[in-house]
Parts: sequence; C-alpha cells; structure tokens
Amino acid sequence: MELGSLQLNGISWTVFRMGETTWLLQPNAEKGLLDVIHQAAFLLEFSEIQGLTDVIPAYESLTVIFSSSDINAKEVLSGLETKNIESELNSKTHEINVCYELGMDWKEMETKTGLTKEEIISIHSSQEYTIAMMGFLPGFIFLDGLDDRISVSRKENPRTKIPAGSVGIGGHQTGIYSLESPGGWQIIGRSPSSFFDITSEPPTQFRLGDKVKFVRITKTEFETRENRNG
Amino acid sequence: MGKLTVLDGGLFTTIQDKGRSGYRKFGVPASGVMDISAYKKANFLAGNSENAPVLECTLKGGKYQFNTDATIAITGALMNPGINDNGIEMNTSVKVRAGETLELGFAKKGCRAYVAIRGSWDIDKVMGSCSTFTLGKFGGLNGTQLKKGDQISWQEISESLETRTLQNDEIPYYSSKRTIEFIPGPEWDQLNDQEKDRFLNSSFRVSSKSNRMGIRLESEKPIAMNQVDMKSSGVIPGIIQLPPNGLPIILMKDGQTVGGYPRIGKILDIHLNRIAQVPINGTIKFKEVKDFI
Repeated sequence: MELGSLQLNGISWTVFRMGETTWLLQPNAEKGLLDVIHQAAFLLEFSEIQGLTDVIPAYESLTVIFSSSDINAKEVLSGLETKNIESELNSKTHEINVCYELGMDWKEMETKTGLTKEEIISIHSSQEYTIAMMGFLPGFIFLDGLDDRISVSRKENPRTKIPAGSVGIGGHQTGIYSLESPGGWQIIGRSPSSFFDITSEPPTQFRLGDKVKFVRITKTEFETRENRNG
Repeated sequence: MGKLTVLDGGLFTTIQDKGRSGYRKFGVPASGVMDISAYKKANFLAGNSENAPVLECTLKGGKYQFNTDATIAITGALMNPGINDNGIEMNTSVKVRAGETLELGFAKKGCRAYVAIRGSWDIDKVMGSCSTFTLGKFGGLNGTQLKKGDQISWQEISESLETRTLQNDEIPYYSSKRTIEFIPGPEWDQLNDQEKDRFLNSSFRVSSKSNRMGIRLESEKPIAMNQVDMKSSGVIPGIIQLPPNGLPIILMKDGQTVGGYPRIGKILDIHLNRIAQVPINGTIKFKEVKDFI
C-alpha cells in the first residue's frame, strides 16, 4: 500500500508498505539512482536505528525490515541526513581473476553479439564495473557498467547447476555466482576466488559501490589458484 | 551430554530455529522454521528457550536412536510418531530412554512436524542462527538435510520438567484446503481488473516442486499480466511473485532476497504457518485484506 513519501538523506522517497514489518522505498530522483540508494543504505547502516534489522539495497529501491510491525518507517527514517556520508564511501577496487576458457556459453554469446570470443573477452576485461547490489544468493554480485555490445539476454532454459565463481552476463548486467546454484545467465568464465565465506564477518569482502576489474588468467593458472584455495 | 544418532533422516529433515536477520544485504535469506507457531509450541513443551533449534521434518519424519535419556516434544503435521513401535502422543512432553528409537512416518495431515529436544543443542551458529540453508550449504549440520549416521548432541538441563501438554484448542486442524489472506503488493495494480478477479476467485493447487524456497502454485487458468522489464528489488518471505507463466510462487523462508518478478501481494505473516502445512496437491484460495494499516 502506497503511503506517500518521506525525506531521507535530502531526497524524497515514495513509501510502500510491503508487509507487516517491511517497507519499500523508491527514490524520486531522475538519475544517479544507484548512488542515491547506496548512500542511503550506508546512512541507515551507520545510524543504528532501533528495531531496523535489515536493509536490502537494489537497483531502484531500498527495502527496510524492522523487528516489529509497530515501527513506522516514515516516523523513524524521516529527516535522517548525514552531511559527511561521502567520506564513508571510499570505494575499493578489486581485481578478480577469470579464466574465460571455462565459459559455457561461448557459442550463444558469439551468435548473439556477432563478435568473436576474443573480442568479447577483450571488451569484458577492459571495463571497470561498479558493485550495484548483492543478493538473490548469498554473496552474488551484480555489476553495473557492461558494454552494450556484449549485452545478451538470459538463457531460455536456465541451468540447474552453475559452478561457484562463474562469471555471467544477464541482459545489461554482469555478475559472479558466489555459490553453486541454478541460474539463467550466460556463463563466460570462472574465477578461482571465493566470494562468500561464512567464517568471516562480514562474510564478503565486497561492498556496494566498490569497483571491479576482471583479469584474464589461463586454465593452468586457474587450477593452481583453485587448489591453493581448496 | 545428551546425544542421538540418525538412523534415517526421512524425506527432508533439517535443523531450524527462528532464522537469521541482518545479512539480507549480502543476499542471505531468513531461513528458519516454516511454521513458527508449531515451532514455538514444541520448544515450550520441551521446556526450551523460544529460539532453540528443532528438527523440521517434511512429509516423512525418519528414525532417530537416542543414545541417552531425553525429554522431547513433537508438534505440527501428524506423522504417527512412535518410540520402539509404540505410538506416542504429539503436543505433549515425552520421555525417551537411552537406546530407544523415535520414528515419525508419513504426514497424514499437514506437511511439517517439529521435534524439540530439551537441552542446549551443540550446533554452531552461522551468522547468528542454527538454521540450515541447504542451497548455501551452511547452518545446521554441515548445511545439509539429516542423513543416516549424523549425530546431534546437547547439554542437558538438570532442572526437571513437569509434563506439559497443549489444550485441544491450541492444536490447529491442518486442512488441505485453505484460504490465505494477503495484502496487495507493489505491483498488484499492474494486474487488470479481470485478472485481479481471476486471482481472487481461483483455487490454486500446491505443486510438488514446492520447497523451503517457495510454494509453487498451479492452476488451469494462469494469471495474465503485461510484464514490463522490472529491475530486481527486495523480497521477503510471504511475497507472492507472478512469473511470466502466470503461476504464482509464494516465497518462503529460504527464498531469495531480491527478485525481478512482479510482487502482486504479500501473505500475512500469521498465514505463513498455514501455507507451510498445506500438502502437495492441497488447494488454496487468496483473500485480500483491505484494512491492513
């Protein structure tokens, strides 16, 4: 149910009550949506709002979950603003090794883009990407900044099993499967790195807004690094 | 130290508690028991704390040999529990002796039974919870369903417990035909009036593809919607998603944290318990809650 709007971090957000304890916030901004959402997510994280148990940042929305249905998001979030939030947003750059030879969908990628495998790899590995969101699966990383020339829609029949570390393309996004799981993205490579570790706190070293660069490695290098991890 | 050995883990038995929070921003689902009402009752009957882990048995419970004496309680789906082949009561605290075997059969009513064992279970918490998330392979015992040879141990509580039993009116009747109340979701108004009516007046069948991630529904007449390309956005247990095939999916406790399908509704939290007990091929109808706020 739509419940008007609230002001958060100097931006107006349309408020929708999605469940007893869950509220969906959508920024009324024309562009730079990701930045607006990331900054608000960090603001909520640092503000230690009582009863706020979860924040789910996504491409165009922020979902907030409270511990009780008595807490009204409009009341507790309205007017929150941190002038110095930018200082908390020092993003890191991560270099991620990818063995493109372990891609599973090269034929489909070549047919649908009209490019050769080498051209696609060159485009994919020359771009710097931004971590837009995490989710779907624990540690699954959605990256913004894919070159339109190598944007290919999801597979018609999703695979039942995709290995952990797989690098995929799904429409205008590229991303990394942190765990072995079913999935419908076009798989163009695999990284030997681990992307989700339940023994670490937090379980991922990646943060929203961080930059990612893919570094091509050979199959031999992949196997060496994978053994080291295992 | 109390201990049991799994002789047969049944169809799908996992260790669950209330679930985890605070990690959804990393894509970690809530997990936790599907029927929180039956879960709380089991822990109460066993004299445990409200957030203690239990066994969640799905459709067929399995066989468990107790290596030590224990106090247990079983709630939820009717699985004809027995100790050494003698039937025992559900919804009451029960003493088990060392060497005895607890067996739970096929669910005759309902879908999920809960077994609480008095004591503090020896299960490492992952991200604040003992709950098993099988897709992520973490939580519970090695992140998987219970299988033959697994062992569960617990610190015994020395204080004795007087037998606790639920009143008849505290024990729900698990019907295979249920009405589920929902509040309209963010994309509800993308359905036209005819399709809203179809959704509200259809009987949906629970598909055998349902699991802890989602209850998949089937119907002769799918719900049509002109789907616009939607960017992935936050979802929670209870959200009713409408994929392009027009067959709704109710996200459950192991459901993903974000989704790209229209969220036509969100079933009431108290009805998550209800839907968790509807068996495969059971039918449900949806009823809109209008005065929710």
